[in-house]
Amino acid sequence: MIEEPYRWVEAIANRREYIEGQLAPGSPIAALGYRDGILFLTLGQTRQKLFEIYDRIGMGAIGHPGDIERLRMAAIELASTEGFTRSAADVSLRRLVHYSLSPVMKSAFEQIYGPPYLARMLFAEVGARPENDLFLRVEYDGEIAGNGATYARARQDFAVLSGTRQSGELMEAFLKTEHTPHTSFEAAVHSALDAWSVGHMLLQTSDAKELPERAAIAEHRREQLARAAIEAAVLERDGTAAIRYRSLADKELRSLVTQ
Amino acid sequence: MDRSPLGFDQSFPGAADDFSALLRRKGLLSSAVIGPMTRDGTQPRTWQPTEATTILAFKFSGGVLVAGDRRATAGNTVVYDRADKVLEIDRHSIMAIAGVPATAWEMARVLEHSLQYFRRTQLQEMSVDGKVRALSKLLRDNFGFVMQGVGVVVPIFATYDGNSKPEARLYFYDAMGAQFEATDYAATGSGSPAVRGILYYENNWGVKPLHELGEEEAVSIALRALDTAAESDTATAGVDRAGKIYPVIKIVSREGITTLPESKIAAVFKEMVA
Repeated sequence: MIEEPYRWVEAIANRREYIEGQLAPGSPIAALGYRDGILFLTLGQTRQKLFEIYDRIGMGAIGHPGDIERLRMAAIELASTEGFTRSAADVSLRRLVHYSLSPVMKSAFEQIYGPPYLARMLFAEVGARPENDLFLRVEYDGEIAGNGATYARARQDFAVLSGTRQSGELMEAFLKTEHTPHTSFEAAVHSALDAWSVGHMLLQTSDAKELPERAAIAEHRREQLARAAIEAAVLERDGTAAIRYRSLADKELRSLVTQ
Repeated sequence: MDRSPLGFDQSFPGAADDFSALLRRKGLLSSAVIGPMTRDGTQPRTWQPTEATTILAFKFSGGVLVAGDRRATAGNTVVYDRADKVLEIDRHSIMAIAGVPATAWEMARVLEHSLQYFRRTQLQEMSVDGKVRALSKLLRDNFGFVMQGVGVVVPIFATYDGNSKPEARLYFYDAMGAQFEATDYAATGSGSPAVRGILYYENNWGVKPLHELGEEEAVSIALRALDTAAESDTATAGVDRAGKIYPVIKIVSREGITTLPESKIAAVFKEMVA
């Protein structure tokens, strides 16, 4: 039946709908470039969602844990062998995503007899200056969204990942006004938490087109902080150590955010 | 079809935590084979223990001090007088090498990447015993080359165990990969007999036992020991007074690894050794 082109398109559309449904409840992740590095932040209920890929590359993901694990392992494997055979400086997020992950995810998605990857991933690579930071979001179908400037859009020094398109778009809209790249760590943590709250609120309402009120965001943030743990990680810009990735424990941030 | 290192392995086997196995699967690590027999059935060459260098390590009050001279030789020729044989593997581990540089540096590189790969994929640090064992395995895998008379490596491994009972740990190996934990000190390389004599003497009849020494005293003993080794061993440089080239000295402690700056070593040398 799927030899017919129409059937194939229909099967792909069904598959897309199914995956979107599966990913929809995923808790948002915000990644913000600031003066001294890149901050990844999310509020987690259960599983770890932020991971170290290589010296300067971190990853956040939502989706099925088995699929996230397979993609994470593949990314680490590729980065490590590249870093070993050439050098750590030759490991590049752009190559990793564009040449390796995206094509594989696309073909897994379109081969409708095989299983697709139920995962949406956000990668960041820290540069020498905020202008060199690279953020790439990879969808289950291999689609890539970067933070670079286009004729229609200015460069963004942040990236977000969320369960629904609408939630992600409003998080971006929020950060566009709230976040500046040369900001301090503390300010970045606050912006990230607020952006997370915006994204999380919008996962629960399906028809909001506008950003929620300031007070509502603050209220939601306070409620969620009381019941979930903060999961965060930084990629440090400081070039003295080779390994820039460091995960931050909840208690390191708790005192900062409750002030 | 050739598989490039950036190729994506879809038939991913799961928990592949062994980095050297991964490299071998991708054809990026040569595996040594025992040398072929010659026609008359004898091994063409026998193993010559030529670890032409001197490295030493001992525990002192501030952790473990690891020192190595700077000379690299090929036969009777001095090839290089600024070689670094004391290599950082991770934030708390040092591998100091005596032996064939090409193999030793490659081995250090594999070990460094293995530990990082383990941490990243498994989301936990490898235990000290695991790290010690990983180096042992690399040495065993290399034994084919050793038997062919090339590629012998005899390292020292110093690390800080931050687990249940925090303490500095020191290990030395033989060329086949047997590991031995040293209680006080270890030395390998062609100049090591002299060094071992000095460290034994200092530990038993010196002003203080080695583990009570302060940093400056420890550095001065390391410098004296290397200088003594250089006196009788042509493959060890000791301290090059004319060229002002000093040994590499690193210290492993709870805080991590400190590389002593040359100026500090020079000051201790001037005051207590020269």
